[in-house]
Amino acid sequence: MTQYLLPEGLGLDAALDRLAGRWALGVGPVEVIERTFYDTFDGRLHRAGLALIGAGGRLVAARGPGYHEVAAAPVIPGERLFAPELPDGSLRRLLEPIVEIRALGPIICTRGQVRGLRVLNRDAKTVVRLVLETASSGEEVVLRSRLRVIGVRGYDRALARVERALAEDLGFAPSPVALHDDALRAAGRAPGGVSTKLAVKLAADDPARAGAAVVLVALLRTIELTLPGTVADIDSEFLHDLRVAVRRTRSIQRQLAGVFPAGRLARFRSEFRWLGQVTGPTRDLDVLLLDFARLRAELADDRAAELAPLGDLLGARRELERRRMVAALAGERTGSLLAGWSSFLTLAQAPDGGGADGAPLGAVVGQRIRALYRQMRRAGVTIDEGTPAERLHDLRKQGKELRYLLEIFAGLYPAEAVAPTVKTLKALQETLGQFQDREVQATTLRSLGDDLAQAAGGPAALLALGVVLERVEADSRAARVEFDERFAAYAAPSQRALVRRAFR
Amino acid sequence: MSRILASYNIKGGVGKTSTVVNLAYLAARQGARTLLWDLDPQGASTFLLRIKPKVRGGGGKLVAGRTEIGDLIRGADLEGLDLLPADFSYRRMELALDATKKPQRRLGRLLAPLAEEYDYIFLDCPPGVSLVSESVFAAADSLLVPLIPAALSMRTFPQLERVAAGGPQVLAFFSMVDGRKRMHREVMEAMGREHTDLLATVIPAASEIERMGLHRSPVAEFAPRGRAALAYQALWHEVQERCDGRPPGGRRR
Repeated sequence: MTQYLLPEGLGLDAALDRLAGRWALGVGPVEVIERTFYDTFDGRLHRAGLALIGAGGRLVAARGPGYHEVAAAPVIPGERLFAPELPDGSLRRLLEPIVEIRALGPIICTRGQVRGLRVLNRDAKTVVRLVLETASSGEEVVLRSRLRVIGVRGYDRALARVERALAEDLGFAPSPVALHDDALRAAGRAPGGVSTKLAVKLAADDPARAGAAVVLVALLRTIELTLPGTVADIDSEFLHDLRVAVRRTRSIQRQLAGVFPAGRLARFRSEFRWLGQVTGPTRDLDVLLLDFARLRAELADDRAAELAPLGDLLGARRELERRRMVAALAGERTGSLLAGWSSFLTLAQAPDGGGADGAPLGAVVGQRIRALYRQMRRAGVTIDEGTPAERLHDLRKQGKELRYLLEIFAGLYPAEAVAPTVKTLKALQETLGQFQDREVQATTLRSLGDDLAQAAGGPAALLALGVVLERVEADSRAARVEFDERFAAYAAPSQRALVRRAFR
Repeated sequence: MSRILASYNIKGGVGKTSTVVNLAYLAARQGARTLLWDLDPQGASTFLLRIKPKVRGGGGKLVAGRTEIGDLIRGADLEGLDLLPADFSYRRMELALDATKKPQRRLGRLLAPLAEEYDYIFLDCPPGVSLVSESVFAAADSLLVPLIPAALSMRTFPQLERVAAGGPQVLAFFSMVDGRKRMHREVMEAMGREHTDLLATVIPAASEIERMGLHRSPVAEFAPRGRAALAYQALWHEVQERCDGRPPGGRRR
């Protein structure tokens, strides 16, 4: 399906005349059409080449700028829709693996007129469909009128003839830009959603303080972007991305502390620690609820039904924690922290921003990578079956710091050194993360026992809780067994030599 | 998984093509992805949808599985309705089927790759009892059986029930009914007593149905408020109700 822009200054009626002069047409009535386009905050559908369009009581997934319909359902979404809430069918099957746990929300509305036309052959059979369309965006910006050309199965040659004539003889220009992307641009917004991926350009010989400040500014931007969605509770990824940005910020504050003026940094270090703490309990419960949904899906139907009170209780507890978190995030303390941090970073980028900024960024970060790698290796070799869980947690924390440095500053070092180091570290971290998440979950679940016993259906739910706990503990044991193998790869002599050699 | 509905009767000239064209049209219009396969070499469904009765390579190659079935499909005027056209070579389809292994399962096999692409597949079958009809019985979930209320129908319907026994669900209904004819009324009453599961909808002998050939379109396109259009709508509604709760492809799995 191809889309063409109407020649400049050509109205719908004149365009119709021009087309009718060329082909025998079946002409449909003019219809008013209002569309609402949906996507996730990070534009997953846009990346997948899809548009999700709500119009006339239907929700349609369409491909390409010409909106070739690929799946649909009779749904009118509200402000927030999760893919599993869709009725079972092709649309849900298409969207679930793309949007995963993210919420779909309206991104832009358009309003306009369409007229369907049919190019007919000698038997008056439709061989190509055309749709003439004028539209304005929700903000009343008039968009360029367009013509969509839709092939009819089995009539490919007719389609090719029509497309050739449109471009070569009738002055219609093919356009790869979809209507909603045009509308977004007209509204001053970029199509494709908001990326929270860190994209900064750094060089190894940049001054360390200025380089670190550039990264921290980008992280602050992520925090500011994800904060409204976290407060509005649109989906759990807002809080997740916010927390990753906070952790990365703290990690750089810690690892590159020496490049900033110590006295002024101290306040922000403690304030960002607070920000990490106030967002922690809600995130832990988010993870538990996400795992809980998976777990419930794995259980037999009757057992899954018995888990309902446990799910309710977790939901209620999460809501309680979320309210606490929102009060903190919407409060003055957070506002003043972010404003103050922004000023601090502006100053830090100035040539006389204080601190030891003489050393080049590559050398400073490389030294920290080598040190963290060494510390982790030394801590890891002493871990065995009897080691208390806290020591594994500490190792994971160090691993996170190392991973952030490797990921954020990857561009400063040879890719052939960064890739295997990240790979072995990532594998190790997955195991440690699995272990820690399950420990936290087991503690949370055990703490629910008393409340659950009081709830309706409590005894059955308690039994079901036992099943869930058993699974969580089994996962935790499995992670511990896996640790040895993954640590061995991480600490292998060749890997050790590579780190020592490459991160300088 | 698509639901396969075959319009069939041992007798010819009972309204099989009008039924299948109108019901397929109504299915597509309500948003279902719909395919109609015109198995009758006369190609009446193909003609009504203004499509050339031509299958590249002929029916023999198609039945032998040497032609990609999807490449032969043509889109009808209504979006969502596709046609696998008739071809004059279909008159030898029985021979082509006979040359394959398990000929009774052959049509079902040919349609299998389309199962996810369509919600409904309608088959317009030629009359008679043959390998083609046996293969249709094996492939279809339901048979749509138009009956003219005449003595011959009373004789052929039990035959049809016998040959389709153990096969698809039989959804029989009266077609081309002239309420003014006493014989029609009497036969309908007698058959209704004998066969209690006949559909309640009756398709009248209406001039709009005859005019389908002039307009080359389903009645809902050119006479949407006429008796015939309303009757087909009621029939489609009743067919869907009867299919409700019967998962498609149940016997084919």
